[in-house]
Amino acid sequence: MKLGALIRKEFFRFFHDPRLIVTMLLPGLLIFILYSVLGSIVSSDGEEDATYSFRAYLSGESQTVAAVEAAIAAGGSTVEWLPADDLEAAKREVKEGNVAALVVFSDGFDAAERPSVEIYYDLQNDESAAFAMLAGAVLQEIGARFTVERVSVRADAELGAQIMSQILPLLMAVLVFSACMSVTLEAVAGEKERGTLSTILVTSVRRSHIALAKVVALSCIASIGAASSFLGVALSMPRLMNVSMDVFGEYSAASYLLLFPLIVSTVPLIVSLISIVSAYSRSLKEASAYTSVLMIVVMVVSLVSGFISVGDWVTAIPLLNAVAVMQTILTGALPVWQALVSVGVNLLFTALAVWIISAMLSSERIMFGK
Amino acid sequence: MEVKAEEIVRAEGLCKSFPLSAKLRRIEHTSKTRQIAVDGLDFSAYRGEIYGLLGPNGAGKTTTLRMLSTLIRPDAGDAFVCGHSVVREPGRVRDKIGFMTGELKLESFFTPDYLFDFFGAMHGVEKAVLARRKRELFSRFGIDRFAGVKVKNLSTGMTQKVSLVVSIVHDPDVVIFDEPTNGLDVLTAKVVTDFLAELRAMGKSVILSTHIFSLVEKLCDRVGIIIDGRMIADAPLGEFTREKSLETAFFDLYHAVKGEEL
Repeated sequence: MKLGALIRKEFFRFFHDPRLIVTMLLPGLLIFILYSVLGSIVSSDGEEDATYSFRAYLSGESQTVAAVEAAIAAGGSTVEWLPADDLEAAKREVKEGNVAALVVFSDGFDAAERPSVEIYYDLQNDESAAFAMLAGAVLQEIGARFTVERVSVRADAELGAQIMSQILPLLMAVLVFSACMSVTLEAVAGEKERGTLSTILVTSVRRSHIALAKVVALSCIASIGAASSFLGVALSMPRLMNVSMDVFGEYSAASYLLLFPLIVSTVPLIVSLISIVSAYSRSLKEASAYTSVLMIVVMVVSLVSGFISVGDWVTAIPLLNAVAVMQTILTGALPVWQALVSVGVNLLFTALAVWIISAMLSSERIMFGK
Repeated sequence: MEVKAEEIVRAEGLCKSFPLSAKLRRIEHTSKTRQIAVDGLDFSAYRGEIYGLLGPNGAGKTTTLRMLSTLIRPDAGDAFVCGHSVVREPGRVRDKIGFMTGELKLESFFTPDYLFDFFGAMHGVEKAVLARRKRELFSRFGIDRFAGVKVKNLSTGMTQKVSLVVSIVHDPDVVIFDEPTNGLDVLTAKVVTDFLAELRAMGKSVILSTHIFSLVEKLCDRVGIIIDGRMIADAPLGEFTREKSLETAFFDLYHAVKGEEL
């Protein structure tokens, strides 16, 4: 009864204050608009002026090859042509990054009435993308009578998945942290500073119930904010990265089933960490400063996960496990047991954090120290 | 034969000290790292009585009340409220007391109606009992008209009344008030002092701290005078005022302890 009343109080405080609701949901909408606009600007920009030693497969013959070579040389780069006997094998090599591109001239290109040239490249590979842009531009310039087509060796969705796997987990950690921070600081450090927490402490309710109620209620509220921000990012990401929305269809239902508890498990963990910092601080201002440091730690942890492969040990580290496993899931894999262990570890650490918060609420030095 | 009153609160050698900051050490020209706030306090309060802790600012009155209400722990000694130790059974003590002090605030976003129900739930008061008490107390203090108004929109006096009714939502046996009339206008102060007298009539024990002589003379049955954390005198009010006013009696004691220093 007391625990329920404490949880309801936090919900009531939040859901009856339109300003809090707006500040919670607005970031998601703003992120969507901002990233979408940014995406359209970025996609129309991005010339590459680095120099390369290109190796490219060539299929068919044409005098225009010399013009392409000259243009590449003028830009300070070189190109070595390799004969393409097996087109599919050549495409695979482009995809694997062994060669920059595959250029396919149609039969009798120079003499044919409506010939065509196709450049197979990998948008995700800078060298490949630079070659396709340069060669494509030269061919389009000199040939009014033939068509030039640049073809990505990767399906749009596949490309999108790779980009998603690199960016979304980091953004997820940052967005979840921001959502948790906006509600927790006020509900713990704010209440402590205003003296309203002490009024509850003088009742017979258990300290552990106060701590648990805070973490449960604030986690639910923060999840709404995090979901809003996450949707904003996820929906605008394809436009920002210039990939197809089909990327979402690439993932199986099992992927989403694994992602959901993984993300959700980080919310109470972050809420309880910020609660510890807030309970320790003497004022809301002090808590904000400490929490900013905590946010930097979380961001570093999330960045680190981009450079490591998911091994057994990663699942034992709270938060890092969620980011690392999420990256693996977004590349198309299904690391079921790592995901489940990660969720378990995060919840275990949350329980430990709740115990620490209740001990802090019982500490005279922390709650009433000047 | 004299009937001995039932002892409700008993303090035994209560001691409390706080760390002294480097800045305060410099100001006070001392090398001590801790300041003694309460130094071996003994006193008893009885059922159906109002006990007043009288003393100047910094004497240790508020620290004593905070120890009685279990917000802070004594360094040494113990206090018993309705037989429960504040050191060993703080949860049971909190069930028995209602504590009102300026440092405990109400969330200004909520209404008196919500706060009463919330703190009723915190004390485990049954819904029917809670509804009856809310009707009685809100009507008694004129809060009923403002029951749905957020605390931030209430006057200071009305907010103080809400704090009072919230602190006694669970009908506690012992009511502890730290400077109950501080910052109140004369009308609200009268409502509060009249209510304290009513609580006594209902058989409750009230412990209040104050430095206002007239309030003690008007309300208290027993008085404890604290100076520098020590209980200088503890007796029924009549023993202080038999031959002189309480104010004169207090300053006689003060000069006896501190010399001519004021």
